[in-house]
Order: sequence, then structure tokens, then C-alpha cells
Amino acid sequence: MKRRDMLKLAALGAALLTTTALLSTGNAFAQDKKWKIGFSQVTTIEPWRAQFNKDIIAEAAKHPEVELIITDGEDKTEKQVADVENLIRQEVDALLVSPKESAGLTGVVQQAIDAKIPVFVLDRNVDTKDYTQFVGGDNKLIGRAAGEYAVELLGGKGKAAGNVVEIWGGMGTQPAHDRHDGFHEFTDKEPGIKYLLDQQSGDWKQDQAYNLMANALKTNEKIDLVYGHNDPMAYGAYLAAKDVGREKDIKFIGIDGLPNEGVQMVNKGELTATFTYVTPGAEGLRQAIKFLNGEKVEKTITLPTEKITKENAAQVLKDNGL
Amino acid sequence: MTALKLLSRTKLYWGLIAIFLIGVLGSPVSSKGNNIFLSYGNLLDVLRQVSTTGLIATGMTAVIITGGIDLSVGSLMAICSVVCAMLLTVPGVTPGVVLGVPTVALVALCLGFVVTRFIFLNVEKSRAGPDAAARDVRLDSVRGLVTPAIVGVVLCCLSLWYLLPQIEPKFGVLGVLLVAPCVGLLFGAINGFIIVAGRLQPFIVTLAMMVTALGIARLTAGQNNAVLPVYTGSNATADFEMLRSLVFGVIPMPGLFFLGAILIYGAVLRFTPFGRYVYAIGGNEEAARLSGIAAGRVKIATYAVSGLLAGIAAVLYVAQYRQGKPDAGAGLELDAIAAVVIGGTSLMGGRGSLIGTFCGVLIFGLLSNILQLHNINSNLQLVLKGMIIIGTVLVQERNAGDLLAYLRLPGGQPARKETAAAKRPPQETPSLNLGGNKK
Repeated sequence: MKRRDMLKLAALGAALLTTTALLSTGNAFAQDKKWKIGFSQVTTIEPWRAQFNKDIIAEAAKHPEVELIITDGEDKTEKQVADVENLIRQEVDALLVSPKESAGLTGVVQQAIDAKIPVFVLDRNVDTKDYTQFVGGDNKLIGRAAGEYAVELLGGKGKAAGNVVEIWGGMGTQPAHDRHDGFHEFTDKEPGIKYLLDQQSGDWKQDQAYNLMANALKTNEKIDLVYGHNDPMAYGAYLAAKDVGREKDIKFIGIDGLPNEGVQMVNKGELTATFTYVTPGAEGLRQAIKFLNGEKVEKTITLPTEKITKENAAQVLKDNGL
Repeated sequence: MTALKLLSRTKLYWGLIAIFLIGVLGSPVSSKGNNIFLSYGNLLDVLRQVSTTGLIATGMTAVIITGGIDLSVGSLMAICSVVCAMLLTVPGVTPGVVLGVPTVALVALCLGFVVTRFIFLNVEKSRAGPDAAARDVRLDSVRGLVTPAIVGVVLCCLSLWYLLPQIEPKFGVLGVLLVAPCVGLLFGAINGFIIVAGRLQPFIVTLAMMVTALGIARLTAGQNNAVLPVYTGSNATADFEMLRSLVFGVIPMPGLFFLGAILIYGAVLRFTPFGRYVYAIGGNEEAARLSGIAAGRVKIATYAVSGLLAGIAAVLYVAQYRQGKPDAGAGLELDAIAAVVIGGTSLMGGRGSLIGTFCGVLIFGLLSNILQLHNINSNLQLVLKGMIIIGTVLVQERNAGDLLAYLRLPGGQPARKETAAAKRPPQETPSLNLGGNKK
């Protein structure tokens, strides 16, 4: 009986030891790094966010003097705020935050600023101006690029004509509105362009866009172009058209241009074009390192967009090692 | 005594102390040489981070002790956060005001009824003695309605007198602290009422309420459908900052609310007849009812309190994150249930305590904090947390031996359920006489 107790105690002790060993691997080689940079990510299960993390990790690998800590907010404001609080306690040298939403994260970002930690806000902004730098794409700019190309596809400036289906992202989100406004700056000038759906939202999701498009196909004989606020929705629309055998008559434009998502779709000829919404991961980290090394950084950096069509898709895939 | 048995007999706070020690011993050191885990700021962070879940778990504990469950708390918190943000930022009559002010009036009215009826009837009955039951019924029907009605109307008028002038331009912090929890209380009471009067499973009713309340929260938030930001610096929020601040520079306000809720509700459950009824109902509802406990009313009250605490949590949420949101508190009910279960409350009902829940909530909070400070992969964090829940419950339910025996692993010994059940500590399942026949 007694020996058995000993055994169990030993097992328990071993389990505890493993846990602590596991725990301490995190900072085993932290000592010889010069800069400790924390990055609070919203979630990791969304493709664009996954690419975001991939980009920033790849960039960090190029800087041996940097130790990068990435936290996952699990798509909850509460969790992300707790993450940032933890990073502040770890006294990181610089903090990168990609907020879930402006209001919820402002308080804790202010807290970091008060703790004299330089803060780099990525992708979505916060409601304070005291941060060090904002790095992000400009959705309106991307919408404009898409609109310009759509006009070109439909016959060129002044002559463009056709029926357009626009599939919105979430109605309540700023990116969707920006992508809409930018697009319409060009297409609204063309009297020949007709819009078939009135503000229909696919909520950024492929399945919902499929259903929207399936209905649109039933009620409209002729559809010339589909503009999805992101690639999965454009692809969902493509699948709906394909299922009724009409995909050849329609051009599909998406946004985001992730290497393993939109670019692949364009390369296979499923989407006509996509416009990259570059993740601010790599640029944000470069800027943070620049700042830590004592250089000056601009207050705002707007990332450019790139048009990806059949012609350059293969090259982009190659550049990304795919 | 085997180690497993030893573990299962150990009080929960030892677990809390153990995890705290692990945190201290394994604490990472910051680049500037400070011990991170033990730093005052970090411990404050933990207390603040757990307080929302903690408040929800506090209400949940009593519900679970009665043998029920409340899945709607997250959604209730969402409604209340939306109402709260609207009252703070939008001037004039908003959906928040429409939802909030009549609710407060209604709650005040009901409270008047409940309080006076309770006091009045108790006095009357003790004077009359058991043989005058027939007269009691007659008295109930007259005085039991008139007096409470008067008190209720007075309370109602008082709350309206305080609230109505506040509709223009915006609500202050006190008004919000009054309105939002009342909205939670009302929805919680509706939960309880349907469960009791409709004789439905709490699981089903609160699940339905979870969906319904989410819809109401979204409808109330209106066009925005997402976030109602509460900016700092606007007039109404200046006071509201108080709810995020440190009290006496020592303890964060949300933590104070959490501790207060634990202490007050803990005392109520432990020392009042109401508390004894809660345990009695969880132990055996039919027996409780037969021994004269108004089981229905007690159950409704536990759900109402659960809603009330969700409302308070919502106010703190708005203060801390500066926004009201229809998806605030999503998934919170599961965290709270996990904390309650880790705290030793049985999902079968009849057993458990708020001290246990307090430990459960803190264990969870400290664990998250430690894992996060060590930058453990977040997916691995989820795995570890899940395993700890199962492990703790196995040990607490004294079924770990059964599991090992089933797997033919060393140390496996069936716990002999019957004796284990019979040996449950007496103070946790009070005999029904304590509750029912005390005249």
C-alpha cells in the first residue's frame, strides 16, 4: 500500500515537473535576444489572419535580435485585452496590436502608452492618437482599383455596360463600406452599368454568398460581373454559377488576394481578378525594429494594393513558395 | 489512505494555493529583472480579468445548486451592455430607455410586493399559529394584496422620480447602475417563471432565452448591429471611469463587485432560510416541496439573481471595454459553468458553495495568466484547461479511482458510490427540517 502511494506521488511529481519544464521553454533563450516584441492578434482561424501571422513570423525570422511573442485573442475583446495586459506586464520593448475593434481595445492601448511602451496599431485603428504608428491597408483604395478594373472589363471608360452583382461583407463593418464606396466611385460614372442586388450581405462567408448568388441567378437572365467584397464570397458566387453552368458568361472579382486562397482561384481561372489587401504584419514589425533602433517613423503607413490576374498569378504563387 | 483519496478530500483552496505557488516558482522575469507574476500590477490584472466571469459564476452557483442551469447569462449580459451604452451615450428616448425605465418600474413594483408580502405574512403567521391556517388564507387575500400594492407603487414612483429627469440628456453612472441590472433581473425572472410555471427543463428554457436575448440585444443596438462605443471624455462617461478605477488605490472596482457578490450571496446561501431552501431543493425537490418550501419561488429567485448579476457584469464590461455590444459575453456561460464545477458544485444539484466557486474562478484566472505569461501556444492552453477541468471534476466526484480501475491502471479503486454519497458532509445538505418545519 505504502509503496503504491510513493509511486503515485512520484508520478504526480513527474507530471508537475514536465509541466514546469514545458512552461519554461517559452523564455529559455530569451536572454540573448535584444528586443522583445509582443504582438496581439485577434484570432488565428481566419485565413487572412493566418497569413498575417505567417508574414510577421517570416519577418521576425530575418531579425535574429528580435524575440517575437504572438498572442491569440480567440476573437474575443476580453481575451485580447487580457493578452495586451499580459504583454505589458512582460515589459515588452514594443507592442504590436491588431485590434478586434476600436472601442474595446482603446483603453488597454492607452495603458501600454502610459507604460512608455511604443505601440504599433495594425490594420484596424483605435480611438486615440497617442500610438507610435498605424500600419494598414486602405480599403477605399482597393475598392477603387477593383472598380477601375471592372469598368475596363465591361467595355472601357464611357462605354462600359452590363449587369453587376455586388456581394457585401458584413453590413455593419467599415471595410465593407469602404470597399463599396471605392468601387462605386468608378462604376457609378458609367450609365450602362446596372446593379442587380440592393445591398445584399454575404457576411464575408463563402456559403452565404453561394446562396445569394444562386437566387440572383434564378431571377436574372444576364449577369456580367460579380464583385465580392472578399475572395471567398466571389468564389462562392462562382460555385453557384458553375452549378447552373453559367460560370463562363460571368466575370468574378474578389479582394484580399491571399496566396493560398484568392491567388490560387485566379490562377485556376475561377476568379478573373483579385486585389491584394496586404497584411500589415511584416511591415509593422520592420517599422517597430526601425523605431527601436532609434530611427524616426511616420505616423501612418498605408499599404498599397496589387492587382492579380491570370497573367501574374503564377508568379505570385511562385514568390510565396507555392 | 491513497494519494487519490487524499487529493479528493483536500479542500479546494489548497488547489488555489498550489497553483499560486506554481505561478510564483515558475514566474518569468522581465527584461528589466522584475518578477512578473508576483508583481502587484499583474495580480490586479488577474482580479480584474476574472471579475466578469466571477459575477456570472456567482449567480450560476445558486442556480446549479437547485439542480438547474442558466445558459442565457451571456446573452443577458449582451442586452444589458447595449442598454447601458445607449443610456450613457445617446441622448433622448432610445431603445435602451424604452427597455430600461419601464423595467426598473416593474422590478420596483414586484420588489414591493415580494418584500412586504414576505414580512407581513411571516409576522401574521407567527402570531396566528398553525391552527389558524384558514384565517391566514383570508388575510392573505386582503392584506396580502393591499399593503404590498401600496409599497410597490411607492417604490415604483420613487424609481421613476429618480430616472425620468435623467432621460434628457443622458444617464449618469448611478442611473445606469440601477437600470442595467434591473433589465437583467427581469429577464432572469422570466427564465425562472417559465421554468417553474411551465414545468420545463431549465436547459431548454435558458437555451431559448440565450437565442431570444441575443436577438433583442441586436434589435436594441439597431442599425449599428455591432458596437456602441462609449468614448472617454464625453460628459456621461467621466463618472463612469470610476467603475474601472482602483478603490482606495488598492483593489480594482470590478474586483470589488465580484468579492462583494461572493460575500453577500455566500452569506445569504449559508445563513438564511432562503439559502437552506436552495440546497434542499437541489437535494430533493419533491421532498422540499412536501415539507412546505415554496420551491417555485425560490427557484425563480435564483434565476432572477443570476440575471441581476449578469446585468452588473454588463455595466462593468461597458466601463472596462468602453463599449456595449450585442455579442458581449458570448461563450461566457460555459466559462462560468466550468468555474462553478471546478469549485466543487455538483451539476446534479444539492451540493456546492460560493467559496468553492470563488476558488474555481481564481484557479481559472491564475491558470490563464500563468500560461499567457509563459507564452504557451494558445491552442495548447485550451487543451490544458480542458484537461484540468476533467481532472478536477474526476478527483472531486471521487470517481478518479473508478476510471483508473476501468482502465486497469495502478491505483484504481472503485469509490463505492453508496457510502460516498451517504458520507457527504452534513452542513452541505442540510436536513429538510431546518428549512420546512421551523415555526
